Amino acid sequence: MSTTGPRPRGALERQVLACLAVADHPLTVAEVLTDLGGDLAYTTVMTTLTRLHDKGALVREQVGRAYTYAVAGDAQAMGSSVTAQRMRRLLEAGDDRAGVLTRFVAGLRPEDEQLLAELLAVTEHPEPR
Amino acid sequence: MSINALLAWPLIASAVLALTGPRLGRALPPAVAVRLLTAAALVSALAAGFALAVAAFAALAQIPFVSALGHWSVTVLDTGPQVSAPAGALAGATVTALALAAAMRALRGGRDLLTAALICRDLDAAGGGLVILDDEHPDAYALPGIRGRIVVSTAMLRALSADERRVLLAHEAAHLTRGHHLYIQLAELAAAANPLLRPVAHAIATAVERDADEIAAAEVADRRLAARALARAGLARASAPARLRALAGALGGADANVITRARALLAPPPPHQRILATLVTAMILATSAVSLATAKQTERRFETAQASYTRHT
Repeated sequence: MSTTGPRPRGALERQVLACLAVADHPLTVAEVLTDLGGDLAYTTVMTTLTRLHDKGALVREQVGRAYTYAVAGDAQAMGSSVTAQRMRRLLEAGDDRAGVLTRFVAGLRPEDEQLLAELLAVTEHPEPR
Repeated sequence: MSINALLAWPLIASAVLALTGPRLGRALPPAVAVRLLTAAALVSALAAGFALAVAAFAALAQIPFVSALGHWSVTVLDTGPQVSAPAGALAGATVTALALAAAMRALRGGRDLLTAALICRDLDAAGGGLVILDDEHPDAYALPGIRGRIVVSTAMLRALSADERRVLLAHEAAHLTRGHHLYIQLAELAAAANPLLRPVAHAIATAVERDADEIAAAEVADRRLAARALARAGLARASAPARLRALAGALGGADANVITRARALLAPPPPHQRILATLVTAMILATSAVSLATAKQTERRFETAQASYTRHT
């Protein structure tokens, strides 16, 4: 699906990082471009990958004439265990009162699963225009 | 307007806001709802607390010992609000308890925001503030801080397509750039100071999620895609292990329900509702004006009472 909205720099870095984090093998620029969608230029993706590599967020390896990129190992770690503990406390605090963390999806009721499946089916059809 | 009517206004305004808040939250565009409802809740809570304090003080000042201490003429004070001693005592006890509850909520909110800011500082996030947790539980949230972070688990990323991931990331980024966590904390503070406003705080929390949804839908220029991302993320969480489902059920309640949000995205973009927004703004201004008038009247009456006391002695 082609999307036409603007992609701010930080947003593109996040998308590239998210894409590489779930890939089961290191990806080339072309593979990242295919995953992210049609409206991006090859050079834009390449620049973003290089910038993330320079910041230490990605590791790269030369395969033939191209580089393949993967998420740097420590980028996925949760810092120190103190940080992890603090985070758990904040998340638990949000369970019974309005906390400072806002989850993407919360407030699920047991009967919601069926409704969600129906909604998903509706949204997967092409938009009637 | 009589002083008793002035004192009653903030309580009536709070009750009206409590009754209409959830509906206003749904009718107004989310971005407007977040700001206006938070302002309305804060002003109503402050005004109601002030009215209770004035009522309590009026009753207190009519006790001969207190009026002598303040050099106030009781005959002049009698022209003010007619608050019986028990009613005054009740108002005083209520306003003290609510002020304490609000102070405690403010401390708790401040502490949580500080903790979040400290975690942000500790989390290494080289890629546009995104922190990816290697975790089998699908989860995603925004962590506010000086430079906030977006935290997403690998399980959540795997559940979504690249397009849908873009929606999720834009939604969480919107929370951070709009400072949504501050509105939620202020709404909670207002609800602690005036429990009548509890439904309004829920409405604000819902509007915050809707606002982030609308911003994400605008960024990908596809409302249907945004709805699909929500449904997919919801299903991923719903099919997570039972332990996690129980947790998810406790979060936020049905107010910020994902079904409602997805349906809103499948509907056309929300209309401006300028008249409704103007009405709410007028209510906020009127409540502020009433509080100022109460303060002026009360000050003037006590000054007169003091002058009269001096003349008679």
